[in-house]
This record gives sequence, C-alpha cells and structure tokens, in this order.
Amino acid sequence: MATNSFHNSAQKRLLAMGGVFVLWTLAVVFRLVNLQIFQYRDYSDREAKQHDRYIPLAAKRGTIYDRLGHELAASVMVESAFIVPGEAPDLASAVSLVTGITGDDPHVALANCQSGKTFCWVARKADAETIQRIRNLNLRGIHFQREPKRYYPQKELAAQLLGYVGDDQGLSGIERLYEEQLQGQPGAMVISVDARKHWYNRTETEGEPGSNIVLTIDEYIQYVAERELERAIQETHAIAGTVIVMNPRTGEVLALANWPTFNPNRRKAITNEGLKNRAVSDIYEPGSTFKVVTVAAALEEKVTKPDEIFDCQMGKIVIDKVTIHDHKPFGLMPVSDIIAHSSDVGAIKIAMRLGDQRFYKYIRLFGFGQPTGVELPAETRGMTKPVERWSHMSLAAIAMGQEIGVSPIQLAAMMSSIANDGVWLPPHVVAGTVEPKNSPQQIMFHPSEGRRVLSPVTAAQMRQMLQGVVLHGTAPKAILEGYSSAGKTGTAQKLDPATGTYSKTKYVGSFAGFAPVNNPALTVAVILDSAQGLHQGGQVAAPVFQRIMQQVLEYQHVAHDVEISPDRKLLLARRNAKTGDVAEDSPDHLGATLVAAETPDHVSSAVARTPVIATKMQPAANHWQEKEEEVRPLGEPTVPLTAPATKLAGTVVFDQESVEVPSLVGKSLRAALEISSAGGFDLEPMGTVGVVKEQAPPAGSRAPAGSRVVVRLGK
Amino acid sequence: MTRSISFRDFDWWLLALVLAICLLGIIEIRSATSHTKFAGAHLKQVYWIVGGICAMFLLSLANYQVLLERVRWMYLMSVGSLLAVLVFGQKYLGARRWIKMPGGQHFQPSEWVKLILILAVAKYFADLQQKELSWPDFLKAGLMVGAPMLMVLVQPDLGTALTYLPIAAMGLFLGGLRWKQMLTVLLFVGLLLPVAWVKVLKPYQKERLTSFLNPDADRRGSGYQVNQSLIAVGAGGIWGSSEGSQTHLMFLPVPQTDFIFAAFAEEHGLVGALTLLLLYFMVLMRLTQNAQTAPDRAGAFVVMGVVAVLGFHILVNVGMVVGFMPVTGIPLPLMSYGGSSVLFMFLALGLVMNIRMRRFVN
Repeated sequence: MATNSFHNSAQKRLLAMGGVFVLWTLAVVFRLVNLQIFQYRDYSDREAKQHDRYIPLAAKRGTIYDRLGHELAASVMVESAFIVPGEAPDLASAVSLVTGITGDDPHVALANCQSGKTFCWVARKADAETIQRIRNLNLRGIHFQREPKRYYPQKELAAQLLGYVGDDQGLSGIERLYEEQLQGQPGAMVISVDARKHWYNRTETEGEPGSNIVLTIDEYIQYVAERELERAIQETHAIAGTVIVMNPRTGEVLALANWPTFNPNRRKAITNEGLKNRAVSDIYEPGSTFKVVTVAAALEEKVTKPDEIFDCQMGKIVIDKVTIHDHKPFGLMPVSDIIAHSSDVGAIKIAMRLGDQRFYKYIRLFGFGQPTGVELPAETRGMTKPVERWSHMSLAAIAMGQEIGVSPIQLAAMMSSIANDGVWLPPHVVAGTVEPKNSPQQIMFHPSEGRRVLSPVTAAQMRQMLQGVVLHGTAPKAILEGYSSAGKTGTAQKLDPATGTYSKTKYVGSFAGFAPVNNPALTVAVILDSAQGLHQGGQVAAPVFQRIMQQVLEYQHVAHDVEISPDRKLLLARRNAKTGDVAEDSPDHLGATLVAAETPDHVSSAVARTPVIATKMQPAANHWQEKEEEVRPLGEPTVPLTAPATKLAGTVVFDQESVEVPSLVGKSLRAALEISSAGGFDLEPMGTVGVVKEQAPPAGSRAPAGSRVVVRLGK
Repeated sequence: MTRSISFRDFDWWLLALVLAICLLGIIEIRSATSHTKFAGAHLKQVYWIVGGICAMFLLSLANYQVLLERVRWMYLMSVGSLLAVLVFGQKYLGARRWIKMPGGQHFQPSEWVKLILILAVAKYFADLQQKELSWPDFLKAGLMVGAPMLMVLVQPDLGTALTYLPIAAMGLFLGGLRWKQMLTVLLFVGLLLPVAWVKVLKPYQKERLTSFLNPDADRRGSGYQVNQSLIAVGAGGIWGSSEGSQTHLMFLPVPQTDFIFAAFAEEHGLVGALTLLLLYFMVLMRLTQNAQTAPDRAGAFVVMGVVAVLGFHILVNVGMVVGFMPVTGIPLPLMSYGGSSVLFMFLALGLVMNIRMRRFVN
C-alpha cells in the first residue's frame, strides 16, 4: 500500500525545503548566466592573459636614406636566442653553455632567467656564427626569434647625424629625434604557457614597419667632407673639428661632419666625445668670422660703405682702459680691407658707429642666440647676452667675435644668408618622411620660409668684400680652380675654463664661405679646434674649405665662372664625369668613366651620382648588392632587407631641372653646337677640326640645364 | 511479507539519471586529466562506479528494516572507527583522515559514517512518532550527529564534518522541530560563530573562508582557487570553450575532483552547466518522490537523509565554484573523481532502492 509517510506539517516543510533549494538553484543559474554571458569577455580576456605572455618585438625600423636614396641606416633581420626556463631540464647548465659562446657573464644571465620568468633572452641579435653554435648545442628550452638589427652600411659616415640604436631605441641623432616615425608599430611574440610555466605554443604578430627618413645629406658630399676633415685633423693635430656643407639657396645641409667620430655598428666602442654632434651642440667663440655680422649690419643700416676709409690707428684701440691690438699695424683702410685683412680695430670702430641696439638686432636676425631648428637633437642656442647685460667692453668684443657663443650650424646659416641674397633660411637635414612602399618614391623638399636680414644690395656688397678675403686677404688658400669663392677666416683664442682668460696656445681656427661668388651654389663652414703649430683659420681651415668646395662643385656640375687654362679643362671635365664610387678615392681612376659614346649601357653606371635627381634604378640596385655583402658577416640576414626595388624609396627632387646629355660623339662641331643648344647645354669645344671624339659629361647622363658639355674634336 | 521483492520495482529512471551524470563525470575527468600525472583516472572512476553499482544492488537486497534494527551497533562501530582514525590514522597533508588497510588501500571512515548517520537519524526520528519535538529528544538527536561531527572536525576535515549537518537538519526539520528550537539553534550558532572565528580559526583558515567574497584581493594566494574557478566558468561562455585552457593548462586546481563543475562549465559552457544542474534536480525530485512513497516513516526519513546529503553537496560545491561559498573541499557527488565518494553515493542509492522495492510490502 502506497501511503504518504509524512505528516501534513512535514509535507509543508518538505515543500519549504524544496522551495529553498529551487531558489538557490535559480541564484546559481543567474550567476552562471551572468558569468558566462555578460562577463564572458572579461573572463575570457583574463583567461588569455593568464596563459599568454607578450614579448614585444620591434618592428622593422625605417631606413634612413640620403638624398639620392642610398641607405645610410638600415635594419637587417638577425636571430636572437632565448630560453624558456620552464622547459630547460637544467637551466643553470644551459645558461652557462650559452654564455660560454656569447661571452656574457653566466651569473647575470642566470639570474635573469631564474624561475618565475616565462622567457628570457640569452643572445640578443647575435651574429650568425654565434647563433649556429648555440643551435648546435641542441638544448631543450632554447628557441630562436628573428629580430631587426640596425646596420650602418657606411660605418662612420655621418655617425653623429644618424645617431645609433640601442636594443630597439634610437639613442642619438636622427635615430633618436625620429624615434617615433622610425620605430613603427611593434609586433609581438606570444608565448602560451600553462600554470607551471611550461610553454606549449608560440605565435608571432609582425609589427608595422616604421617610416623611412630621407635626409638632405648627399652620401658622396658627406664622404668628401669627412675625408677632408680627417685629413685636416691629421695634418693640424687639432683635437676636434666640424664641417658643414649647405645649399644656401634652400637651407639643405648636404654634409655635416664631425671629428672625433664613431662607428655606430660597434656600440660598445662608442665614446661621449665621438657621439658629440659638434655642428649643432658645440658653442664656441667665433672670432673674426663674426665680423661679417658686424660689417653686414653696418652696411644694411647704411652707417658705412664698402669703400669708406677707416683709420685703424696702427692696430691699436683703447676701449674702457683695455688696449686691443690688431695682428698687424693697419693704417687707413676701406671697409672692404678691414674684412679682407680682418682688422679688429676696424671692426670695433664700425660696430661703435652701429651701436648696441642695432648690432644686437642683427645678431638675432642672423639667427644667433636661438636654435636654428635643424632636425637634430641637443641643438644649442648659443650664448648671446641681451644688450642690458653688455659691459662697456661688450660691443667691441662682440664686433670681433668674442663674448659671444655660436654653434657651427649657426655660423653656416649666417654665411648662407649672405650667399642667399640676404635671406636667412633655417637649415634642414631631413627632406621628409616616407611610408615604406615597394615602389620608388620621390619626395619634394620645400625650403622653409626665409627671413630677410639684408637687402640684396647689401648681400651683394658683402659677397664682393668676402671674395676679397680670398683674393687678397687672409684666405688665399681658399682660392678655387675654375670657380670664384668668398668667405671669412676666424681665429679665436679659446677660453681656458681653468683661468677664465684667453688661452695663448689654443685656438679655434675657422673658415666659412661660399662659391661661386655671384651665384652661390654651396656654403662650406670649417671649424678646427686646437690645431697645433699653424692655427690661423686662413692656414688650417681655408684649405679644407678649398678642397671640399672644389670637389663638391665639380661633383654637382656647377658651371665654372672663372677662366681656366684649356689644358685643365678636359681634366676637370673628366673629373666632372667621374661620378665616383664613394668608397673609392683613387685618383688613378679619374677619367676612367669618360667613355666612348657608343656604349650607352656602360654609360648608365656613370649616371649614378648625378647630383640632383636619381631616377635610375640601376645604380641603387648595385648599391644594394654591395651592402648585402657587407652585411653578411654580421648576421646573415635570413631575408633580404627589402626588395631591391624599395632601395630608391626616397629621393629628393628639386625644382631645378635636369636634362639628359645628348650624344655628341662623331658629330661635327656645327652639329654638336646645334644639338647641345637645343638640349639646353653650353658647348665648350676643344680644338676646331674634325668630329667630336670625346665628350663629358657622357651621353645619357643627366646634368642641370644650362651646364657645360666639353667636347674634344679630332680627326 | 505479502509479496517478494522484485527488481521490476527498482527505480530504473533514477539509475539512468544517476548514470548519465556519472558518464558526464567520466568524460570530464578524462578531459581534465589526460595530460597530467592523473591520466587514466577516468578508468579508475569507471571501476569505482561499476563496483558502486554492484554494491548498490547488493545493499538493495538486504531489508532496510533489518538494517535499521541494528543501527545502534553500526553507530557505535562508526564512532569507534573515527576514534581509531584519531589514534592510528595516517597523517597526510596535515590531516589525519585515513586508516591504512592491510591491502595497501586507504580507508576514510568519515565517508561511511555519513551513511550510518542517515540510518541512525532516520531510525531515531521514525521511532519518536511525535508531531512536535521535545527538548530532550532535540538535544539527543543533536548529540547523536554532533559527536561524530566533532571527531571529524578535529582530524581536521571541516568539509566532511559539514556534510553531517544536513542529515541532522533534515531529521530535525521533518521530525517536528519547533520554531523555538530552531531559533535557539540559530541563536546558539550566532553566538558561537564569532567566538570560533576569533578563538579557534587560524588566519589562513579565515582567509580561505572569506576569500570568495573578494577573490581579486589576493589572486595568487588565498583567492587563487576561486579566481581560477570563476575564470574557467566565465571563459566557458554559452557553448563552452574548445580549448578549455583553464582546465588543460592546469590553472584550475583539482579539476577532476572539487572543481569538476568549473572544468565542465568551461568546456561545455552555460548550456552544459544548466543541463547538468537539471539532471541533478531531476535526481533530487525523483528521490523525494521515493521518500513520499516509502512504506514507512523510517524509510521516508532514510531517503530524505540521502536527499539532504546529496542536495547539500551539490549546493555547496556548485556554490563554491561560482563564488557563492568558501572553498571547503566538498566534492560534487557522482561527478568528482574519488572512490569513497562514488561508493558512498551508490550505497546511499542502494538504500533508496531498497526502500522503493519494498513500497508495496507491508
């Protein structure tokens, strides 16, 4: 008999209990719904976070190109080794085996890898041999990861300007200033581990490569500047030096060289002295080069004229009970000679006529006392005192370039503004930033808005006077072949920091100038610190100016403005045509590229260094191959850096037009004249009989419109 | 006896539901242990279940009324075995819970005591035959459950000791507990708890008991288990996570025993978890129905005792997994891996079957 075994009251209680249980179940169900539906994302994120370890991997850093698309800094893929401590059966011995190969401190490495860590690097961006040896150990728990490593194919070239890269971060120069653009979007390696830190999976996400930077620097000009600077350092035993090459018309810095220098590929050998970008961060007393400012201001304010005669008082002037001597007892001299012979007394008298306020105004207008804004870190503003803080001596001192601190780039910009018809332009080293693409790109450099400091007339007067410095003044060593040149020497006694007085033995010799005088194409500033023996700017710095200026003007196919003997013309023309491998500097090869016009294929290789426009793929591809060979011993890149086509990713193009040089070989003089004038070239014939046997620049190369083509005629 | 008992009256539906839960348990154990040193545990679980089924059938044959007659001796024996554990027991992980048997097996008496307590409580209240509980009876019943509970508590094994509570509570509640008595108990507990909290519990125990309230406070320490459990459940989503990384990467502690519900919820999602809860609910309903059709008051009390223990286990275990309750080490019956737990459940079911098969007898 089936009976209900409970009392009525018990039945009720049973129901009550059932109710409690149902309520509780409902609570659990709501909780589950909440956890598994509404908080699902949160919890699954937390779940993923528990077993995924993100190790950021630097994206491929953007390439730094010179203005022609040559790589100055590039990233290659190399391998790094890391240990997963949870996997290694014997962590200590694994680490000591690896450090035995890498040469690192095993204790430090072991402490780094000690438990609690999911992952630790043991050989970061090591060379191929090291990696191979580690691979050969065949240890459990050691894995490899490809990472980009910074590589500077031209080694020391433009080292301070480019800077260098630490583990993954730019630490100086352009690398530091443009860190954000260059680094791109970092990728990540995701290592999945279980609760006991055993890893079971690895996935990689590639980062977005950084943008490429195109500099206004020209690799070849930079090379010339550095070579000549180094030579000057060796000859004069100066402790440091700086060379700046600028285009005064645009403000582009074409070369910026410093000594001492360093090789950014060898990070461990880098010294602070080598790192210092003196061109922008050094402050020095300019000395006589500053007389340019004094005189230019006076001319612009019309307080004097170039031919006004000043009494230089036999090289003696007393200012505030201090007697200032000229290096020679000058008598009566026009202003132009005061500049040419660098008379302190004359400069002081001119400045006194100008007065504090007006002088100071021009000092600031010429860009002193403020950073030029060039795209480089740690730029100094120099040291200029406001007029209120000038002493009785200040006006006189500043007039001859003392009591004022300037940087080399400020000096170069000042000299460029004289060259640029009186308009001061901010100097630039970066032409632009380009997104990494697989096709060649050309970028436009737009000069910044200038600031008129002098009227064109004053600027022209200044140029004439500065040419006098070269022609009959303190800098005969700055005379060029085939080009007129102008500039100003400076020899400043160094302030001895110990005594606070001017040193009798240490000088900063400098020369800043431009050429050609009437249509300046280049400004070059040379500063040599503490040259031994000869130390005058005209003796030590002017020759450097001359050598650099001569080579670069010819490299740029700038038309001659001074007659040179016919014998030298062909030689010079040959030098023009020699477009030059940067790494190759043997004069034996001069003229080797002056080739017969019948072999245009071959000719194209000579086009490579056409200064203004790089439109040909061929030379860049060659360049690329050179680099690959250089890279190989370093780390055996597992993939090419980029497709060769990207090599030309950045080129700087100017408004200046370039024209293809026509083939004149085999033509008569009359025909050659017709062809070249149709093509916009000046023909410079050598000889009058027969047909053209040789020509320079060679047919098919590109040269600025209006430049000169030299031909030799023969039978 | 007017009619011989027959397996036709066996509750096959109940068995089917129970075996369905067991099967899900086996699958989950297999999944959770396949990559650990416990790999193969699911096979052992199968053996235990097969053994449990046999034991269930055997126990269903012995008349429960005869068992109830002898419950006094069984009760004394069980108390004796608990004493023996305290004296001779094997210490393992800081607790003295096991007696080493000659065959090398470990025997945990506290599990079996549960079964005997169900019988003893049922017998006691069935014999009372009163509508309302007198104070002496109330105290006696309390002492009957309280004594073994205290002995288990000092092992210490808080979790198992707590599972004795529902047996007493169910007996008292159905046996005519008066509201006054209930209030007294609640008041007593209310007063005792703060004292115990301050005087008895060690800081780590307190931490463990409260960490579920704020599992994020100490994710790597006391809150670790709750946290991992919540992550496992939450990451399961609606349909479950195919990777089941909480379970498979060993973040979830003991996924084959105490946290098997979390592992299951991770791998099968909300749908799986609700299905499982539904199965448990059906089992409890079916059991309650069996209690109502029991041939006598004692039988009904036995079945309700089983319901109480089973319901309590589910309540506390699932509550722990979803973060409602502290981590107490109470397994999920029928699913969690472990011989003692499985055998207890099947023996308890044997008692229920035993009573059901005799529902027409009298």
